[in-house]
Amino acid sequence: MNGDDAPRMGRRRALEAGVAAGVAGFAGCLGPLDGSDGPDRRARNVGQIGSGRSPFGDRELPEGTSMSEMPEMEGELTVYSGRGEALVGELVEFVDGLYDGLNVDVRYAGSSALVNQILTEGDGSTADVFYSVNAGSLGTLAEEGRTTPLPDDVLDLVRGEFRDPDGRWVGTSGRARTVPYNTEALSGDDVPTDIGAFPDTEAFRDDVGWAPTYGSFQAFVTAMRVLEGDGATREWLRGMLDLGVREYGDEFLVSQAVADGEISVGFANHYYIQRVLAGRGGDAPIATAFTEGDAGSVFNVAGAAVVDTAADAELAGNFVRHLLSAEAQDYFARETFEYPLVPDVDPVGRLPNIDELNPPGGIDLTELSDLEGTVDLMRDVGVL
Amino acid sequence: MDTNADGRPVDAPGDEAGESQPSGESPPPGLSLASALVAAAVLLPLVWLVKLGVDVGFTEATSLLLRPRTLEVAANSAVLVVAVTAASVLVGVPLAYLTVRTDLPFGRFWTVAVSLPLVVPSYVGAFAFVTAFGPRGALARALGVELPRLHGLAGTVLVLTLYTYPYVYITARASLKSMDSTLVEAARTLRHTRFQAFRRVTAPHIRPAVAAGSLLVALYALSDFGTPAIMGFDAFTRVIFVEFNSFGRDLAALLSLQLVAITLLVLALESRVRGDERAGGGGRTTADVRLGRWRLPALAFCGALVVLALVVPLAVLGVWFVRGASGVGSTTLGFQWGYVVNSVGVATATALAAVVLALPVSYLAARHDGPLATLAERATYVGYAVPGVVIGLALVFLGTSYARPVYQTLYLLVFAYVVRFLPQAVGSLRASFVRVDPALPEAARTLGRTSTGAFREVTLPLVAPGLFGGMALVFLTTMKELDATLFLAPTGFDTLVTRIWSAYSQGYFGYAAAPALILLGVSALSMAVIVSREGYDVR
Repeated sequence: MNGDDAPRMGRRRALEAGVAAGVAGFAGCLGPLDGSDGPDRRARNVGQIGSGRSPFGDRELPEGTSMSEMPEMEGELTVYSGRGEALVGELVEFVDGLYDGLNVDVRYAGSSALVNQILTEGDGSTADVFYSVNAGSLGTLAEEGRTTPLPDDVLDLVRGEFRDPDGRWVGTSGRARTVPYNTEALSGDDVPTDIGAFPDTEAFRDDVGWAPTYGSFQAFVTAMRVLEGDGATREWLRGMLDLGVREYGDEFLVSQAVADGEISVGFANHYYIQRVLAGRGGDAPIATAFTEGDAGSVFNVAGAAVVDTAADAELAGNFVRHLLSAEAQDYFARETFEYPLVPDVDPVGRLPNIDELNPPGGIDLTELSDLEGTVDLMRDVGVL
Repeated sequence: MDTNADGRPVDAPGDEAGESQPSGESPPPGLSLASALVAAAVLLPLVWLVKLGVDVGFTEATSLLLRPRTLEVAANSAVLVVAVTAASVLVGVPLAYLTVRTDLPFGRFWTVAVSLPLVVPSYVGAFAFVTAFGPRGALARALGVELPRLHGLAGTVLVLTLYTYPYVYITARASLKSMDSTLVEAARTLRHTRFQAFRRVTAPHIRPAVAAGSLLVALYALSDFGTPAIMGFDAFTRVIFVEFNSFGRDLAALLSLQLVAITLLVLALESRVRGDERAGGGGRTTADVRLGRWRLPALAFCGALVVLALVVPLAVLGVWFVRGASGVGSTTLGFQWGYVVNSVGVATATALAAVVLALPVSYLAARHDGPLATLAERATYVGYAVPGVVIGLALVFLGTSYARPVYQTLYLLVFAYVVRFLPQAVGSLRASFVRVDPALPEAARTLGRTSTGAFREVTLPLVAPGLFGGMALVFLTTMKELDATLFLAPTGFDTLVTRIWSAYSQGYFGYAAAPALILLGVSALSMAVIVSREGYDVR
């Protein structure tokens, strides 16, 4: 009754067809084809992943290290992905389809759920790679001693602040806390650059939105606790409640509401604003503002680690390496509107370059895993 | 465990309907052994909880259990369970009466329609209500009015009631159908009013079935995570979930053990409510109560329920479907028929396994007294009240530690579902067995049948509606189950709910709509099949 094989076969066939269709156009541009397999085939097949264009216009494949320059992969690999299939499924299937001898199985669930699963599975875990939506759960897994250090040449692909100092995980794409605002109601100058000023901004009375049950918002509150302490955080939350903040289910909804003019300003991860813009053909009255050097501008990463139970740690490390390829980084920029972490790959959309952001200094991203204290505090204040 | 051991036997003595009471004589050893094995198997996951709980240590455990916050959460859960159960009885019993006993117009339609909310996962229902209601909800915009937000206790009770009352409705209905309505006619000829006749004759008859249905409602309310989480109500499950998500596995385990303790309490309470059980099989049922001027209110009642429980989520899903989803994920979130095959496949396997395992347990509980019968039956309910996330992780632990070959195979997944949903089959079958007059199989034996033969030829056909009802319940709930599926499904094995979850959790509602609508469709179809099969009356 082990139906494991049936869906996998179907899936495999489907993704091969998808990859073939996806690369056909690209391969056509590369001139004469000799039709043989081997390294040439891979070089031909590497190109932009996905639709090949973004809602903000076409662009060339950026600089960085191409997958064609990376070590070939062969074997069975199981990835536990806390990142959703909608966002990364196409990328994983692309990498899988690039090598004949490689078979990648992905298990999708919440990042914390997968950490719990790996910890509970103990040394019987089937996971080779853990791919997480945030640094907190990567940190938790690393602290429990369940990761294997990544090779230096993988770690060196990204800047120091986006990876674990001990090399136990590496960031693969970035997500900035931002302030979406309605351009018809406000100009960029009307938005405070200090997160602490929001509760006192009378202009925002009954006109500001947040998503307190949403994980990213709770990570933002956690960052505020780390930076300002529990007392100041409590006061800030209370101030926002007094200001008549409106509650939404998630930050995509917050951003939609801002674009609709339902509220003038809100709190959301940066890519939701780009998704609203992309979904509405780029002409919605919504833009991105940033606070400076505080919890309102924390820059968190999604990232990956090799699990200590990996059957082939080298293969697992090479898979992580592929997530840092020029193609994958370009994919994040175009398809998920995240910040690429590899230098020379620019973000897409109406976003400042990563170097123009002003995230708070001295914050260890893994500290943002103390969700429990945050939830307690938020409940205490009456936000939850 | 002895909390529930004293449950049922105490109210047996002194009852005049002695011959149909569970007999005190010792059951066949094979039956006892089978029941004991089933009970042991479904209690297995608790081993992991106890292990984690012990790891926490006595001092910390005590302080955790006594901290005000824990007590508050326990009180919240208690209020929730009582409110949802009471509301479900108030909705489910009148509906059962209306569809079985009265000349309700379009009776066949309503019979199916009011059972259908069971096919809606409560988390989908909760999201639909949150989306539709509220001052800025879809409904408010469409109607141009300000609607209050549904949240907290009220929202949780409303949503859970709408999607669990069918448990009461279905069990009460099966019981009403198997009841000899000539008894009511007799009561009426004795100048009882219709209400008195209901209270004196019908109510005692259907009470065990209603109690069984209510138990499922109560335990569902206790274990459901999605609805309280979406409605922002601090029930046990929400707190357990937060603990798990902030990596507090040990504390989550302790809280789960506390939840198990509350479950035992609910089980003990239910056995008191259940009261005496009388066999009344072999009756004749007629649908002959004329509603008269109650026709319109009755129709309005059924209509309002169908609108709230079905039209609202369908409308929200429909809007999502029409709007679709743009850009990202179109290649990976697209719908595939394989998801339906997977969902239906595991749900069918689970339904069959659950009914087979439920047979010895429910027969033993219905026919024999004694601690083993009671314990085995009650044990099957424990897994039902433990949230899927806890059962899921417990089996991850047990699977990787002691059963590697079946870990992340469909065997373990089906086992998890059986642990979660066995009581639905047990409750349904047990109520049916109780309804069968033991004199009937005895008569068959005097005619030369073996006891197995008598069981197969006489008892089993009589309990067939309950058997199919139980299978339907298990099938439907398995189709909807999410948490344990996420932990235990073989990697790459996608079902409709994992697709709904995947699309929904990433904000791509458009992609969630298609699998959700198909889930509702397939479940509704199976429900309709069951309801029509139930048509052959017990005669």
